[in-house]
Amino acid sequence: MEGWDPNTKSTLTQIPLLATKAGPRDGVAWTQRLKEEYKSLIAYTQMNKSNDNDWFRISAANPEGTRWTGKCWYVHNLLKYEFDLQFDIPVTYPSTAPEIELPQLDGKTQKMYRGGKICLTVHFKPLWAKNCPRFGIAHALCLGLAPWLAAEIPILVDSGMIKHKDDASSSTDS
Amino acid sequence: MDAELLELQRQFEFAQQAKSSIRLSDRNVVELVQKLQELHIIDFDLLHTVSGKEYITPEHLRHEMAVEINKLGRVSVIDLADVTGVDLYHVEKQAQQVVSENPGLMLIQGEIISESYWDNVAEEINERLQECSQIALAELATQLNVGSEFVASMLEARLGTLVKGRLEGGQLYTPAYVARVTAMVRGAARGITVPTNLSVLWGTLQQLLHEMDGASGVTVESSFFQSIFNGLVKESKVIGSLRAGVHWTPTVFATAQKECIDSLFSQNSFISYDTLNKLGISQPVQFLQSRYPEGIPMITAFAHPSLIEMLDAAVEDAIERGSWIGSLSILPASFGSQDAAKILSLCPSVQSALKGNKALILGESYVFSCGFVKSIYDCMEKEMDAFSLSGSSGGVLSDDSNLVKEVKVRNDFSKSSEISNSGNEKKKKKGKSTGIKTAESIPDDDDYIPTKSKRNQRKGKNVSSNQVSDAKAGAKKDSAKEDNLNVPSEEWVMQKILSVVPDFEEQGIEDLEMILRPLSNYMRPMLINYLKERRKALFTENTEKMKRLLDNLQKRLDEAFLNMQLYEKALDLFEDDQSTSVILHRHLLRTIAASIADMLFHNLDMHNKLKNGTEVEESQSSEPITLNSAERTALAKNFPGSLAKKALAVGEALEGKRVEVFMTSLREMAEESGLLLKKLDKKLERSLLHSYRKDLSAQVSAETDPITLLPKVVSLLYIQIHSKALQAPGRAISNAVSRLKDKLDDSAYKILTDYQTATVTLLSLVSAATGDQEEDCTSDRILSKREFLENLMPALKGLVLNASQS
Repeated sequence: MEGWDPNTKSTLTQIPLLATKAGPRDGVAWTQRLKEEYKSLIAYTQMNKSNDNDWFRISAANPEGTRWTGKCWYVHNLLKYEFDLQFDIPVTYPSTAPEIELPQLDGKTQKMYRGGKICLTVHFKPLWAKNCPRFGIAHALCLGLAPWLAAEIPILVDSGMIKHKDDASSSTDS
Repeated sequence: MDAELLELQRQFEFAQQAKSSIRLSDRNVVELVQKLQELHIIDFDLLHTVSGKEYITPEHLRHEMAVEINKLGRVSVIDLADVTGVDLYHVEKQAQQVVSENPGLMLIQGEIISESYWDNVAEEINERLQECSQIALAELATQLNVGSEFVASMLEARLGTLVKGRLEGGQLYTPAYVARVTAMVRGAARGITVPTNLSVLWGTLQQLLHEMDGASGVTVESSFFQSIFNGLVKESKVIGSLRAGVHWTPTVFATAQKECIDSLFSQNSFISYDTLNKLGISQPVQFLQSRYPEGIPMITAFAHPSLIEMLDAAVEDAIERGSWIGSLSILPASFGSQDAAKILSLCPSVQSALKGNKALILGESYVFSCGFVKSIYDCMEKEMDAFSLSGSSGGVLSDDSNLVKEVKVRNDFSKSSEISNSGNEKKKKKGKSTGIKTAESIPDDDDYIPTKSKRNQRKGKNVSSNQVSDAKAGAKKDSAKEDNLNVPSEEWVMQKILSVVPDFEEQGIEDLEMILRPLSNYMRPMLINYLKERRKALFTENTEKMKRLLDNLQKRLDEAFLNMQLYEKALDLFEDDQSTSVILHRHLLRTIAASIADMLFHNLDMHNKLKNGTEVEESQSSEPITLNSAERTALAKNFPGSLAKKALAVGEALEGKRVEVFMTSLREMAEESGLLLKKLDKKLERSLLHSYRKDLSAQVSAETDPITLLPKVVSLLYIQIHSKALQAPGRAISNAVSRLKDKLDDSAYKILTDYQTATVTLLSLVSAATGDQEEDCTSDRILSKREFLENLMPALKGLVLNASQS
């Protein structure tokens, strides 16, 4: 945890940990895992809202819980930038972390694989491997996507790769 | 689908749909506060803490600081900054204000300290002081972590109230301890009986206290002892005088000192400065003058006027007796010669005698009657005459000359006469000394006559000495060197004085030097002047002699040299005949050249002797002086410088075969000695020949000897025919005659030839007559030849005289 800032560390310790080690093909165990996932996601969301730091909204796209979709956003210079968010649960989950995709930003940054999959820092994978199966979707979002957005969005905005939807109205105001 | 799973999904959706609470961020809060200040809703200053999460007003900051100070009593400004969480800059600024508002606080070296804190500290120090009796301020300063100066000032303000003690030299003492040390100092001071340096005393007391207190005791500073001692002196508990704050002189010592000095002075009539230095008085002269105004300060002692009267009487008596006296023999033994000189300068009779030229002070302490000195000087002058003679003897350079020998003999005679005179004089001197010693005041009538006769003897001696005394001439360097050699030395004068006045010898060896040397120094310049005067007179005389000698030499040299050149020209006629030429050259060298050289050598030798100061009686005769080869060489070697070499060359040329060599050498020698050789020119030659011709004619007319007539006739013929002056010896006559054959007519030549042949025959007969052969026959033949020559003489004379007439 040396590479993480104190704020992220304190947030992470408040997210409930998971106990069941099961993937999408494990039947009843996977159901139990999904229950635990929902509990941790609920706690993380509530925590963010109470801290006025709500930044994502996700839901299961299918009944099995193997595909998730939603939105995430980032506030930079008092402007809110919102992106579509999606990811699949690998069959080897939770040994393998899910790969989070932002299709709108595909090809706009070097820190992204083909298809809009974000490239995570080298600190994430060892941390995830070390805490298997205690980390879940909430942890992946907290340790993976959130730092990525904080690092890349300001660069993309400054370089002009991303335009805010309110730019037209702001020019009208001025 | 599991029902619980569905419920969780629903709850998750609900949670995500819930409205998030609105929270103000740190940025929002900061912006709100700034807005409030802009709108002047907040009209006071706000300070933010170091963490940036809190605001505080200056008033509240001061309040917090005051609370902290009241709680601790002493707090650092840096610590205040940490406690309140406000930046150090603001804390310092508010600290200044807090301290200025509250008189009970002080700001020192970044710390705020209250008076109550110092009161507490003072109480603690007092408790420690009562236990230990003494505390070092340095130790307190270290414990309290403040400067020693501040601790001292703090304690001084509380001495006598909170702190019951005494602060002295960086130490704190209890009154009991101070009293104890005071008693020690008082005892030590009263125990001293001689002047003492107090630093040494304090060192001793420190050692004693260290032994008493052991290792736990604090070293007491000397300044503590000094202040206690000063207090005792002011209270008159210790009696004495303190000088420069360090040197202590007890009154008891001063009293004993004065008593000792008074007794010494009254008993001895003087007191030595060494004595006062031993008694501890560093400026004895000032001390004694203030105490005894009538006394006399001197170099080594201080004297009472009674000493002056005593010495004055003794010296006056000596002067009246015409004797001498050493003032040190009358004054105390500790007096030096400078002291004696000082007292002598204060004696009225001595000063009057000096002014009246009746007495003389030599060697600072010896008084001589002028009469006494004069009598010694008269004897010395006679000795100077003998000195002159001995110098003259030493100056003789050569023994070759008869004149020099004659002069030397005369010197010896004079010296022996002088020696006998000296003996007589010594006897008379001894008698006179005895008279002086016995103090006879009235001379007898008999003494008067010897004095007069002595004067006459002296005059005669002077006249005699003038002729044989030294003389100085020439370069200054030589003169100075000669003066050094012939001037009497100081030791010589001292010995003479001792021989004249044996009375001095009885004074002892040490005093002898003191008496004789100044007396010698006094007399020696006078003797040297006397000697110089006489030498100057002699020098003038010798200069005249030298000038006269050179003038005569130059005159005679001119005459002889011209003749020499005249004869030299005649030699050219015979250059083709080698044998005759050699004969003629040698003849000329042996005769004319030798006479010139001898005259030159002799006169230069006399000149050289006069120059060196040797008395040479001038030769009154003008007879030529003949010297042999050895004599010439000896004289030549005595000439100075390069003249000797050139003179030797002339001597060698005389033994040679060429007249030219002699002429060259003679020219060089004359040039070296400063003489001029006159050149023979046509006009001069003609006039000389004319006078020579007249002379020869007269001689021929008057000649009666038939043999000597022939050379004269031949010379006269050469003058008439060749205009040359020929000097031919007998052996060369035949050749000379044969050379006239072409010039004369046959009859005259025949007469000349016959006469020459007859002359040769006659000379042969005369030389043969020395034997005893047939005496009668030889005599007859001589007579017949003589008659023959006598018959021819008129014809020969007529030959020459007729030619002269024509």
